[in-house]
Amino acid sequence: MTDWRRIDIDAFDPESRLKTEDLLPPYTTQVTLAELQPKITQLRNLSTSGDISAAVQLAMQDPPYSADGATKAAYFQAVLDTLSQVRQADIANIVKQLSLDQEAVLVKYLYKGMSVPEGQRQGGILLAWFEKLTQASGIAPITHYLSDRRTV
Amino acid sequence: MSQSLRPYLNAVRFSLEAALTLSNFSSQEVERHNRPEIEVAHQSAELLLQPMHISRNENEQVLIESSVNSVRVSLMVKQADEIEQILVHKFTRFLEQRAEAFYILRREPIKGYSITFLITNKHTESMKTNKLVDFIIEFMEEVDKEISEMKLFLNARARFVAEAYLGEFVY
Repeated sequence: MTDWRRIDIDAFDPESRLKTEDLLPPYTTQVTLAELQPKITQLRNLSTSGDISAAVQLAMQDPPYSADGATKAAYFQAVLDTLSQVRQADIANIVKQLSLDQEAVLVKYLYKGMSVPEGQRQGGILLAWFEKLTQASGIAPITHYLSDRRTV
Repeated sequence: MSQSLRPYLNAVRFSLEAALTLSNFSSQEVERHNRPEIEVAHQSAELLLQPMHISRNENEQVLIESSVNSVRVSLMVKQADEIEQILVHKFTRFLEQRAEAFYILRREPIKGYSITFLITNKHTESMKTNKLVDFIIEFMEEVDKEISEMKLFLNARARFVAEAYLGEFVY
């Protein structure tokens, strides 16, 4: 070893640094795809029957924070389909009916949507949601999003 | 401003306003150092906040990564064809080589993006935060205009040059 002064010795101590996994809140149970499937089906039924407002409310009610990647992706796809079915004119009304917690969840799905290719193709509609949300409650949901360690 | 550009810039503005709440924070790792924590991301995850992606379509995106004392804003400028790719590359490189004069410009963009700004608590202490946000929004508006203008000039010049050269062969 020639350059031993440059070795980062703290990296060998598992206690010295916090990793992203250490910051997640301790979940007691893990939601599986099978448990979530009825909710996804209900979500699709609501949005095909045209009751988008109820569908959005349902989608933003306790999202699967503790689930693994594949389950989150399946749920996210259902949410994205619901969000992209709304007509631009209706968005403001739907956003008005959401509670603060539901708005915080909506922001998470909007940012997540814009970070993946499927959502980027729907960029226009997601940005319309975002605009209506900021018109309704300003900067608050974004601030909640920034510091929340629970991801969707 | 076009109808689809407004919600995009609006989203960037709100996200930046939320992210630009920075405080002075000394390094936890190295004594008497004070460094932008977002740039040493692999060391302390508790100092980083959730990253924010804002995209208008696949080619126009903004990534805002924030931490306790610094924010990194990366833009992906629209590049429709090869000429625009070259122009964007030259343009951003021109700016990046003069990064000291722009204070918040990062010398190298993040991988996959055209240009990156790095705003630290020093900047928000010495400059007005809302003016910084205004600057980035204005930059995003201007850069598209600038690139398409340059492309038009380039095409006009190429046509003129081609005519002048090839005119020699017309009898």
